[in-house]
Amino acid sequence: MNGGASSREQILERIQRATPGAAASAAALAEDYGALPRAYVRAGRLDADACVELMVHRLREYDAEVVECAAEELPGTIAAQLAASGRRSFVAPPGVPAEWLAAGFDWRIDHGLTAAEIEAAEGVVTAAFCGVADSGTIVLHHSASEGRRVLTLLPDWHLCILRASQVVETLPEYFGRAAGNQGSGDEKAGTRDLGTEGLGNCGHETGRLPRLVTWISGPSATADIEMTRIKGVHGPRFLHVIVVKDRKLGTQGPATQGLSVQ
Amino acid sequence: MAVSAAADRPILDPARARPFPEAALPVLRDPQLRKNVAHAIDVIQGKRARLVAEKADWQALRASASRIKDVALQNLGAYLEEFEARCTAAGGVVHWAADASEARRIILDVLRAEKATEVIKIKTMTSAEIELNPFLEAAGIRAHETDLAEIILQLGEGEPSHIVVPALHVNRSQVREIFARRMGIEDLPDDPEALTAAARRVLRAKFLSVPTAISGANFLIAETGSVVVVESEGNGRMCLTLPRTLITLAGIEKVLPRFRDLEVMLQVLARSATGERMNPYTSLWTGVTAGDGPERFHVVLLDNGRSGILARERERQTLRCIRCAACMNACPVYRQTGGHAYGSVYPGPIGAILTPQLQGLRHAQSLPYASSLCGACYEVCPVKINIPEVLIDLRAQVTDQERQRARRFFDPLYLGLRVAHLVFARAWLFHAAQCLGRVGLRPFTRKDGWIHALPGVGAKWTETRDLRGLPQQTFHAWWAERAKGAK
Ligand code: SF4
Repeated sequence: MNGGASSREQILERIQRATPGAAASAAALAEDYGALPRAYVRAGRLDADACVELMVHRLREYDAEVVECAAEELPGTIAAQLAASGRRSFVAPPGVPAEWLAAGFDWRIDHGLTAAEIEAAEGVVTAAFCGVADSGTIVLHHSASEGRRVLTLLPDWHLCILRASQVVETLPEYFGRAAGNQGSGDEKAGTRDLGTEGLGNCGHETGRLPRLVTWISGPSATADIEMTRIKGVHGPRFLHVIVVKDRKLGTQGPATQGLSVQ
Repeated sequence: MAVSAAADRPILDPARARPFPEAALPVLRDPQLRKNVAHAIDVIQGKRARLVAEKADWQALRASASRIKDVALQNLGAYLEEFEARCTAAGGVVHWAADASEARRIILDVLRAEKATEVIKIKTMTSAEIELNPFLEAAGIRAHETDLAEIILQLGEGEPSHIVVPALHVNRSQVREIFARRMGIEDLPDDPEALTAAARRVLRAKFLSVPTAISGANFLIAETGSVVVVESEGNGRMCLTLPRTLITLAGIEKVLPRFRDLEVMLQVLARSATGERMNPYTSLWTGVTAGDGPERFHVVLLDNGRSGILARERERQTLRCIRCAACMNACPVYRQTGGHAYGSVYPGPIGAILTPQLQGLRHAQSLPYASSLCGACYEVCPVKINIPEVLIDLRAQVTDQERQRARRFFDPLYLGLRVAHLVFARAWLFHAAQCLGRVGLRPFTRKDGWIHALPGVGAKWTETRDLRGLPQQTFHAWWAERAKGAK
């Protein structure tokens, strides 16, 4: 590394001299870290229905097309969305269920497609890891059903299948779920409700934090010219989301808090 | 409309830039530029204010964000070593650069080993800090900026004037002119949509063909060895996933202890930077992943003056900065002058404290004075950097520095201050001076009790503001008289 080693020692030594208050041991460091204030909102206040409603509302604010359907209606809903798009050629990651690949369209499954092949597709269909209602964010961990990163980047049209049970209200709750995949065995049941259930494998390697994550909040955009928001600079210009009602909704009474719609 | 900025291209190298008050003059005389800047800032400020107001736990988020950065900085050595170990284990190569020239050389060595002749780049202020592009150009490697704003600047041969919206000083007709001229498109309309589409077309080919990319980093995660890049356009995702080799340049202060800390940082960053609940795309990656993204990944950890800032107790908070630009959007001085006057790639209030410190106070000594100390920057800063406090401290350091110089002994200002010191410390001298002042200023005091014009050095004051004439009776005299009357 061309003398990098000496710069490394030099920088670390300067840092050490600059921080006489640094924790003396790993245990002391963990204690310092553990003492950090975390008074911000870490759990949502909406019930499941309202949470999904907020997610849909936020996605629509981003100009995403959103439709909702029951679990058994999913294949038909996908087919209808594909047909309505007026597009024919689609790519999909290898982990999506066969019934998502509607007949009558050209499908290429990503078993190592080249960038040019993906670029040539008119659209892409994938699952997701999680949805964050507060900011209308879709989180991909790039598992076999969510696809490699490039797969949801090059095609101009992205159809993302999100299950209602994957939607959380706040960003901290997403981080709770992501950490829940750390298979130390002591996590509470219930943080692991991200099973496959025939809707695509959304679990990823357990036992560690995700290696790759993409947080998507609306279609690609820029406001670099006179602060005018322009949709679709480099990523997909069209984001479509199907929210699958895979858990019994409306059983927890009315929303405890209305949506703050502006 | 001075589109061809090349002629009087602003100088953003603190070692060569003119002092702030001088560099600000051309902007103050350019109404178009001031209009562009004010418009952009008003839009972002309005959006930010609305989204911060809807967040009931905003102050709690700020408190956590600033403390997370404090713990990270306090234990910077340990966290950097943890990052290095994890990133290396995941297949990344970690380099350490003590200064700008070492960072440039490391990057060039990697590019040479890749036999690269061109490279695609995601907007990174750190690469501008080390003046990477001209260096690569001189070495025969063409750097293509891919962020829309950076393309506008690169093609128009301009310089960034803001850290989040670097081309906010350029308006749509100026962009149209630059694109038409440099991309050879003749009938280009000037609506932002068409201009953006033109950039998209030109860049797609580059993304798919150039095998090496350079990025910055918004955060490094010690716990996992991951890197996080926050963006809007998707050019970042392109650069991070399509090339064979990726080089990330990151300041050593970018490290966060844990993955989970992002739950705070991502919430405050987007709201502060662009007034969005979340920016369109945020990417996290860890070393290299077989079959997904680059095969080779290098991180260059850059010191370049940062460890010096770390060592100073009051100034250390400067390193908490997450480059959201909220402070410059809120700053009444930046609003008038725009970014170029700061003579650095880091303008605005954060630039006023960061630039002189990165320069070890050898340059940019005028910047700590480029502030009214109103505190608006502190109020909006998501990591609670007390910028006014640091500004005052830096002013003291600059003054100390100047006092050391012999010629300062004869400087009228310092001479005046020394005389004032002498007078204020002695009551009898002070009273005598008051009497003298009353007599001396009488000819200049108008009927309304104000002094509108003074000759000589005094004109420096009255040129821009009026001065109250001295009252006929001082408080002391009045008090003494009153006591007499009471008896
Ligand atoms: S100093 Fe604070 S407000 Fe300014 S850019 Fe840095 S984090 Fe943002």
